[in-house]
Amino acid sequence: MAASCSVKVLFEQEGVFRHPSSDEDGIEHDLLISGSLRIVDKDAEIIVEYRPLEDTVDPSNMLCAGKDSSSVMEWDQCSGERSHQLLETQQSYETEWDMVNAVSFKKKTCTNGDSSLNHSHERSRWALAFSVSELRSITVKEEGWTFLTFRLRETSSSLPALHFHQGGSTDFLDNLRRFALLSESPDDDTCLLVSSPNKALSQSFENLLDDNNFGLVQQKFRKDPYVTTLGGFSKVTNYIYDAFRGTEEQHQRPPEEVADVLGEVIPGLEINQQEEPGFEVITRIDLGTRPQVTRREPLSAEDWSKHQDPEGRMTNITHLKQVIFKGGLCHAVRKEAWKFLLGYFPWESTLEERKSLQRAKTDEYFRMKLQWKSVSEEQERRNSKLRDYRSLIEKDVNRTDRTNRFYEGIDNPGLVLLHDILMTYCMYDFDLGYVQGMSDLLSPILYVMENEVDAFWCFVSFMEQMHHNFEEQMQGMKTQLIQLSTLLRLLDLAFWNYLESQDSGYLYFCFRWLLIRFKRELSFQDVLRLWEVMWTGLPCQNFHLLVCCAILDSEKQKIMEENYGFNEILKHINELSMKLDIEEILQKAEGICLQIKSCKDLPQSISAILGFDTEVSGSAPTDYESAPALRPPPRADACSNGHLRETSSHNSCKVAFIS
Amino acid sequence: MTSKSALLKVILLGDGGVGKSSLMNRYVTNKFDSHLFHTIGVEFLNKELEVDGHHVTLQIWDTAGQERFRSLRTPFYRGSDCCLLTFSVDDGQSFHNLSNWKKEFTYYADVKDPDNFPFVVLGNKLDVPERQVSGEDARQWCRENGGHPYFETSAKDATNVASAFEEAVRRILALDDRADHLIHTNTVDLQRKTPPDPSCC
Repeated sequence: MAASCSVKVLFEQEGVFRHPSSDEDGIEHDLLISGSLRIVDKDAEIIVEYRPLEDTVDPSNMLCAGKDSSSVMEWDQCSGERSHQLLETQQSYETEWDMVNAVSFKKKTCTNGDSSLNHSHERSRWALAFSVSELRSITVKEEGWTFLTFRLRETSSSLPALHFHQGGSTDFLDNLRRFALLSESPDDDTCLLVSSPNKALSQSFENLLDDNNFGLVQQKFRKDPYVTTLGGFSKVTNYIYDAFRGTEEQHQRPPEEVADVLGEVIPGLEINQQEEPGFEVITRIDLGTRPQVTRREPLSAEDWSKHQDPEGRMTNITHLKQVIFKGGLCHAVRKEAWKFLLGYFPWESTLEERKSLQRAKTDEYFRMKLQWKSVSEEQERRNSKLRDYRSLIEKDVNRTDRTNRFYEGIDNPGLVLLHDILMTYCMYDFDLGYVQGMSDLLSPILYVMENEVDAFWCFVSFMEQMHHNFEEQMQGMKTQLIQLSTLLRLLDLAFWNYLESQDSGYLYFCFRWLLIRFKRELSFQDVLRLWEVMWTGLPCQNFHLLVCCAILDSEKQKIMEENYGFNEILKHINELSMKLDIEEILQKAEGICLQIKSCKDLPQSISAILGFDTEVSGSAPTDYESAPALRPPPRADACSNGHLRETSSHNSCKVAFIS
Repeated sequence: MTSKSALLKVILLGDGGVGKSSLMNRYVTNKFDSHLFHTIGVEFLNKELEVDGHHVTLQIWDTAGQERFRSLRTPFYRGSDCCLLTFSVDDGQSFHNLSNWKKEFTYYADVKDPDNFPFVVLGNKLDVPERQVSGEDARQWCRENGGHPYFETSAKDATNVASAFEEAVRRILALDDRADHLIHTNTVDLQRKTPPDPSCC
């Protein structure tokens, strides 16, 4: 395509509003203009443009406005060779944008019948466009939502404010930072001064951590870098996105530098430095429809034995795992099958080999058990670590699954086994020791094994997968939350933006889910089912993150409709415990996996998380649709139910992980 | 002034297993379950109550007590109006750790005036016969560490639980009154949290 006609959309945010009544006189009170804000690269000039999407709305119609706008936003594929068009004429609905990887889009003509003609003039009246190089400053203010006011270099007055009713202002600013240096004004911490473009390389990580609370975050960061560690959690993910996204090297930090900067802030975080070839706008990836999948019956004891050869080797393991993934196991099979699934028994071992393995492992177990058993009171007094582990294990064993028959009542042998295995695990891995949550992971395994030694070694195998969740710096948890955020953003940008706007973008509320793999969220029997399904390693790597996405997919509507704030989201998710249907969740999670898998031009970051082969599918044409539009939240005065609002505003502090 | 009640955030801190969740549940739902799961992550419950004619909503935050989880509980300290430092009278170590908890809270909650911040100390599990911490030792610690009120509680028997939480509310309101008197003397403003203090974020 000719360089002279390249217009690339680098960023787009829908649901950005103008409130003309506050900008100009003589305008109908309460008039609101809904539109989208874009950053476009037009002939190497970076332009910020705002366009009204449709008819002006009055507040009483606002709830449906978001939905309506999505129906207008249909994308059509077309060749990238249309003639060059001026920005002004692009305001007709015949505009097209070229994407770098040769897929381009055309917006369908708005077919609102007679109203479209009359309103096209109206619409252009509310449009705005300016070059980033003209920009002098941006003022960031909050009013229940964030609104930005732009000032240009040549004029003294500011442009009309843009209101981000559906979130996304942070995202917008982060994207803008790729092309301009934004620095906080020394005398007004709501004001960002814009310096000459293409100097973004010199910006510090402090800017990336910024949110709407510019001054405070920075202050805190200077005071104690550890405190802010993941304060900009979602900002970090944004940045990772940016690193994967851009082709324009001159505007990008080199990936190693990104990694360095992130590494400083998140010690130990590994960043995939592989660069994504080609330009991607993740927000525009069409995932297609989610396939309907069905679950099957659990594997029976008979079927299990059919997969064994005369010497006890398991055969046709790929098929076997597939069956277990689709339906789980009958309870009778679990005691044996879990040992294979967890890797305690090798699939190809014979019965004889397994017997001798068990003998060796039994010796090893009791040697380690003897170690803590033979520590005298005197010795323990001088070993504070062991003392602390023992004291907490004793407390937690008494508080783990006590309603389960295996652990109920006083002096139940199950409790003693739970205790002894956890103490022995401290000897197996003294550095890790005992961390709360481990008793939750052991309890179902012991329940199934009904044998101390087997339960211990199966637990050791499970802990190999889960170890990083419990380590000193909680690195595994942080990584998983970032990965989950990445997936969620791909699956549902509107919801992700909503969470972001409620300071919940780093998904703290999923912490318990991830730490102990949904152990507290599901009934005991459902935990057994979920775990054996996950242990097959099918249908992709990190399937548990898609399980998170599946649950959130079912809750997002409620969360957004009720306009839940930070506290309410946390409470709502906590209270889902024991109300979830495992088969429904597994079905949905598998559907999501297939949906992502079949998606062409999947961002490398996503493929890396899910372990997909990263075959680049070239420029195969795909039908793109708009992302579903989010309902704008009710206006502030419509939400006067006292407590809820008070609660959310009271604790709207930024929550960060602290290392 | 009765139309809307103030929202007060209190946070329960203390070693694992001293009974933080049990105290919260006893107070909010009046139930006790000795086999309740240990807390993973962070939870909170709301309770409306009236103290000396003031209607308030208490938002009680409960956290995981193990050291390892520090990085995920401390962000929730901000915006607290009162901190309930909890130990168990049958666990000397949990009493010795009180000063660490106080330090951790003061640091991460970013308390502006730590000397006047309301702490309430709770010695829980009064029902357990084998005591390791005497009431006198606990009271002495409270005297020497800023004159905090001390309550010996039993979440199991419901002893003193309500009194402890009500004292927390009184301390917060008293502090507020004093602050209010410095600015304006004649109004009783219970809508203290609206609009929210922008500096709390």
